[in-house]
Amino acid sequence: MGKWPMTAALTADALTKDYRSPIKEPGLLGGIRGLFDRRYKDTRAVDAVSFSIEEGELVGFLGANGAGKTTTLKMLAGLLTPTSGTARALGHVPWRREAAFQRRLSLVMGQRTQLWWELPAYETFRLNKDIYGLSEAQFRASLDELVDMLDLGAHLSIPVKKLSLGERMRAELAAALLHRPSLLLLDEPTIGLDVIMQKKVREFVRGYNKRTGAAILLTSHNMTDVVELCRRVIVIERGRLLYDGALDALVARYADHKILRARFSGPFDAKKLAALGTVVSVEDGRAALQVPRARVAASAAALLRDFPVADLDVEEVDIDDIVRRLFGGA
Amino acid sequence: MKKYLTAYSIALQETLQRRWTLLMDRVGGFAVVLSLYSFWNVLLGDKASFLGYTRPEMLTYVLIINVLRSFVFTGRGWQLVGEISSGRVSSYLVRPLRYQGYALALDLAQKTIHVGSAFLEIGLLVLVARGVFIPRDPVAWALFTLAAVMASLIFFFLEFAVSTLAFWTSESGGPLFCFELFLQFAAGAFFPLDVLPEGLRRLLSATPFPYMVYFPARVLLQKIAPSEAVRLLGVEAAWLAVAAAVAAAAWNRGLLSYAAEGG
Repeated sequence: MGKWPMTAALTADALTKDYRSPIKEPGLLGGIRGLFDRRYKDTRAVDAVSFSIEEGELVGFLGANGAGKTTTLKMLAGLLTPTSGTARALGHVPWRREAAFQRRLSLVMGQRTQLWWELPAYETFRLNKDIYGLSEAQFRASLDELVDMLDLGAHLSIPVKKLSLGERMRAELAAALLHRPSLLLLDEPTIGLDVIMQKKVREFVRGYNKRTGAAILLTSHNMTDVVELCRRVIVIERGRLLYDGALDALVARYADHKILRARFSGPFDAKKLAALGTVVSVEDGRAALQVPRARVAASAAALLRDFPVADLDVEEVDIDDIVRRLFGGA
Repeated sequence: MKKYLTAYSIALQETLQRRWTLLMDRVGGFAVVLSLYSFWNVLLGDKASFLGYTRPEMLTYVLIINVLRSFVFTGRGWQLVGEISSGRVSSYLVRPLRYQGYALALDLAQKTIHVGSAFLEIGLLVLVARGVFIPRDPVAWALFTLAAVMASLIFFFLEFAVSTLAFWTSESGGPLFCFELFLQFAAGAFFPLDVLPEGLRRLLSATPFPYMVYFPARVLLQKIAPSEAVRLLGVEAAWLAVAAAVAAAAWNRGLLSYAAEGG
């Protein structure tokens, strides 16, 4: 190693992972042939990915479905062994799964649960207390804080199966953070939650990061999570590192357009709109145009002059679109 | 160690929480014993003994089966298969926890409740059915308990090993089901192995299976001299060591494959 500063909580160095999966030939005959002569196909899920995350950093990890995000997280959590390359997390090689490492790590997968289904979440908390070897005082202090921040008080004594998804997700977070991990890997923490609950979870993650100085790596399909929480993002595409840097710089680099949105008071010639910019949509007396930044003023003026415009908006490109363009290979 | 005790206590609570599942489990088990009991009752007719068992002994064998079924044939196999196939096993692998110890703690909780319930059921049966042989020799009870505890652990490890097939195939439920069925037959959980032809019996005696029901039952019925019983307990202990080693090896191999293939 030696390449990274010593304060790094997490480093990945040319991390690579190949999956081997059997090729299923079509039809019954193919299936029978597969019993005796199985052929495999190697897929590279993660391809020489390197990055480093400092203590206290909160980094967004972006990529389309199947880009290799979860595979990377699993390697960093020690669930998968890489095909080549290496990583260090809190000074440990993750896939050795040493207890000293695991006591300071937490991996939260939005769709998975570690809570005991039939019992109140409190019982799972007690179990985790002993699994992580917390003293009664540590457990109390940590639990009180989490219950308060996650607004869990009333739900602690209700069997988990009776909780709503949002309540369960918050209980899940509490279970995962009781031992105050210094490294937190969050995979889709807001998936399936309603808007208010998403906001609560985001506020909590930000607060936890500030209070404990834990390094957090977060994947999300929900761009609001990333925009509100992360100043730095790492983008991967088909297993390769595409971008690693400030979110602002990413936006500046890719958002070279603005969107003009117009509502019309009367009939207009939609074909003429194309002269002003790229037409994104035209329907029900409304139109949206994508216009290069340099031409925004001119296009807006022409629109007001030549069309029966009732209302006009100038908007920044949605960050979702930027990332989608990135993923699309733009 | 404390974490496993806590896991045990939580699992106890959860089993009690699932009252109806527990009740149905027990009713099902009781039905098997009841039918075995009636079957042997009819078969014995007015014969004084059969295959070297007196009538009360044969009926007692059936009751012992009830206890041993509850105690030996509960494992974590199906849960393990489910946790591996769904990837839920990951949530244990990232925590400072030995999965096998954890699974054993949960299994012991299940056994505790089932054995309690099994003795209750037997109490009921003994009241209804007269002519049951109740052993009074404390040595027989001690040897029986030791044999049953080891049998239970052997089953736990063997079933665990078979369940780790789930690391390699999504169709591990079939083998597990066959294994459990075959085991009950080969262990003597349907009938005393004396019923089987000599050759087959000899073949089975070279496996760990008869130690799981047939052997402890015969110890309790005092069909085996104490010195011979002690020798066989030694053999059983050796099988236990083998089963534990096989389970550990299968688990480690499985984890390597899990780690290589993903989940």
